[in-house]
Amino acid sequence: MQEERGIMTVFKIWKHFKREELYECYQCARCTGSCPAMEVAPAFGPRETILKCLGLGYDQLVEDEKLWLCCTCNVCEDRCPQKIPISDLLVALRNSAALRGNIPGRLSIAIELLAKTGRSMIVHQLDEMRSHHGLAPLPPVPVDEIRQILKKTGLDAVIEF
Amino acid sequence: MKYALYLGCAIPIKYPGFEAATRQVCERLGIELVDMAFSCCPPPTSMKLVHYDSWLALAARNICLAEEAGHDLLTLCSGCVNTLKEANQVLKQSESKRRKVNKALEEHNHSFQGTVEVTHILDVLYQDVVVERLIKEKVRDIPIRVGCHYGCHYFRPPKVMYPEELSDSESYVPVKMDHLLSIIGVEPTEFSRKFLCCGSPLGANVDQDAGYAITRQKLSYIQERNIQALSVICPSCFEQFDLGQIVLSRKTKDGEKIPTFFLTQLVGLALGLSVREVGLDVHRVKAKKLLDSINII
Repeated sequence: MQEERGIMTVFKIWKHFKREELYECYQCARCTGSCPAMEVAPAFGPRETILKCLGLGYDQLVEDEKLWLCCTCNVCEDRCPQKIPISDLLVALRNSAALRGNIPGRLSIAIELLAKTGRSMIVHQLDEMRSHHGLAPLPPVPVDEIRQILKKTGLDAVIEF
Repeated sequence: MKYALYLGCAIPIKYPGFEAATRQVCERLGIELVDMAFSCCPPPTSMKLVHYDSWLALAARNICLAEEAGHDLLTLCSGCVNTLKEANQVLKQSESKRRKVNKALEEHNHSFQGTVEVTHILDVLYQDVVVERLIKEKVRDIPIRVGCHYGCHYFRPPKVMYPEELSDSESYVPVKMDHLLSIIGVEPTEFSRKFLCCGSPLGANVDQDAGYAITRQKLSYIQERNIQALSVICPSCFEQFDLGQIVLSRKTKDGEKIPTFFLTQLVGLALGLSVREVGLDVHRVKAKKLLDSINII
């Protein structure tokens, strides 16, 4: 699914999302009208995202950090009168962006932690905190197994761990 | 009734009180829970966006553990249920994806078979036999006005989360938490934008202030309806409202704050558990005043 071309790894979006799905979009902007991220941040919004994908291609989008201004709430898709699987498109676009190195700092730290510990959170004195609530220590995650699965599926092309 | 308990990360690590309340409530209502060495789900708001194939493989591993033990998966978080339900559906439907994932898992002796279902604590508690037991075991009512916040990933996209219960417009509007809470004497109260985002993923991934701007807006609609407390079924939503109100009040000096409960904490109180037992003591916005007013200590 990924081709190595020198140091650039190419991610073919239309292999992961059928472009034809977008042809049903008539740009009504019902998606954009219900996007919570657009109300508080300069996000592209789903309508513009689809338009750009249909027109000039997605290069411009996946290189822009604004692509990440999204709550992943899926309201856009839920309200789309044409039932376009917008959330799948947004996942494909962001996977492509991440592979090109466009990934928010906070998110890449979170992924690195997950890859190294098998969990997305870490705290000090966890056992004490759990015993305060009468709970046994948390069973350990087989970290090596998790790392191997993540390496085998190619995560290390995006994040070093 | 027996489930593999999928705790996820945020609940056992950040909010173990929710776990304690859930375990006690399940025990009282005849739901048996089995613990296993699960990893992070991983979240639909992080790993899935960065690397879909790794997301799917790790989710598959978690499902495999439950399959091997022969139990359905019970989750306590909207994010976990979203990931595990979608991965389960995708892998059941697509042979090519299943083959690819199983190849990544084979050296660890796992193989996705598609033999279990994924569910959420709200759906488990909402089953007839559990509700009947709850009515029987309930020792007190919780007569407060509560706004139910379901969390986007619990029910969207509907075609993945509730394919059997879609409306004519192929949508799904959740009601189970409102109904369940009314059984324990709560007055579930509607508010504008009830089914929209709490702001958490935007804050966690990109812009904390933008995330809290969504939260502030949502809270203003909640306050408009004189809602006394919130009930959530997701630790990320919880943090957004609980810690979020502390953060927001530093900037705006807002007056009254609204305490947030995890669903099983409210159910636990109705079953006679104490405030300490359901783990309310670690909440940032304290519920003491509210609970004192209805004689719950």
